[in-house]
Amino acid sequence: MILSVASALILTGCYSNNCPLENVVLCNYKFLDAAGNPIQYTGSLTVSTLMPGYKTVYIYRKLGNVTVTKDRQDSTYIEQGYTETIAQHRNDTILLNNKSGASSISIPMSYFNGADTLVFAYSNISLRDTIKIQHDSYPHVELPECGTYRYHTLKSVAATDASIDHIEIANPYVNYEGQTNINIYFNGIVGGEE
Amino acid sequence: MMMKNIRKYIFAIAAAVLTFSNAFGQEADEQAAYNGETPKPTKYVEVTEQKEHLVFFQGFTLSADLYGVGAYLVSDYGWAEGALRLNLKNTYFPIIEVGYGKVKKLDDNTQIEYKAQAPYARIGFDMNMLKNKFQDNRLYVGFRYGMSKFKYDMSGPAMTDPIWGGSAAFNIKDIDCTSQWGEFVFGAEVRIWRNFHMGWSVRYKMEFSSTKSDYAKPSCIPGYGYTTTSSNWGGTYNLIFDLNWGKKKSHKRGVSVEIRDINDSPVEQTDNKESEGSEELEEEEITE
Repeated sequence: MILSVASALILTGCYSNNCPLENVVLCNYKFLDAAGNPIQYTGSLTVSTLMPGYKTVYIYRKLGNVTVTKDRQDSTYIEQGYTETIAQHRNDTILLNNKSGASSISIPMSYFNGADTLVFAYSNISLRDTIKIQHDSYPHVELPECGTYRYHTLKSVAATDASIDHIEIANPYVNYEGQTNINIYFNGIVGGEE
Repeated sequence: MMMKNIRKYIFAIAAAVLTFSNAFGQEADEQAAYNGETPKPTKYVEVTEQKEHLVFFQGFTLSADLYGVGAYLVSDYGWAEGALRLNLKNTYFPIIEVGYGKVKKLDDNTQIEYKAQAPYARIGFDMNMLKNKFQDNRLYVGFRYGMSKFKYDMSGPAMTDPIWGGSAAFNIKDIDCTSQWGEFVFGAEVRIWRNFHMGWSVRYKMEFSSTKSDYAKPSCIPGYGYTTTSSNWGGTYNLIFDLNWGKKKSHKRGVSVEIRDINDSPVEQTDNKESEGSEELEEEEITE
């Protein structure tokens, strides 16, 4: 009897689950030169996504100061002498803001859209690149106590050529395991003439 | 011709001598019996070893697991299970276990529901560790290979996309899965009445494989249990009916029988020595 109780206590004490600690589902992009060598982007990179619809923004301007754009009205700028302008902007969202020295990036994917459109804005050139990713999304439950994750399967990718040489799918399965999903080959070769 | 006659004579003389000696010995025994004396034995039978051995096939054992039914009544997962076991020399027990498991679990935190019900089967082997194989109680260790082919349902609350927006619940039905696992078994059983035994077993289970699905991993496998970790503990509480009618079939084997001359018997020699010694004493007494 004592042995049974002790065993039950020990087994209860050893209870653990297999819920993953790294559990954010992101699509991972790796940067390479045109020849396939890994590179680090020396400038800063901003990635935003096109969203349907428009939103109201509040723009605050003051001579000699940086213009500030806010999604909500902020009276403190008016108190400081800024002028307020209300405008309608595209409903786009910044997913990565001024990331510098990146050799790879991780971007979330939409749960219920068949395709995501990403806009890459570079600090050292004025042109932008647009990447379109078609994918399927589905719920994934590892264990009921761990909750639901949204996995994706990449179907196709395409990109403009302002700074990108070409783009390819490295691994179509987007989950929280952290493998590279998309390789982006930028123009030029490291140490080369191009 | 001369040599042939000589051989005839020698054979006739030898036959006459042997016949006379046998007749004389027989006549002496008969004379002794007539005088009321017991004739002395000249041979004895020596039995060197005599052990009782269980015959190889001892019958069948049928059992039902009561723990699974109890678990079904008080928890999310339960099972009904029966087993057929062969009894070989009351030592080795090849066994087949067949059952039907049912699970319906709703996680309180995530509100994800998992449902599955399916048959399962295990095949394995137990070995009685008790030294005395003739008794009805058993302490055994063994192993099992288990398999279940089943379908499960998984449903959950609405998921909301934090960036692009939108929300949808999910309800995925009939996800196919085939699972295989192994079990180490330690158990005991005692006879409670006639051919009825009761026993328990503790099992350490390891999942070998389960069919992968894009949507989910089976949360609970019928016959195996929860897959929260790669290994699992389980148990059974069995009501067992022995079909060997309570008798251990045995036979005596290894009996070595040898007919030896009475003079070679160590007992006889001792007796002789004692008798010789007594004769000496008698002689000494007479001398004195």
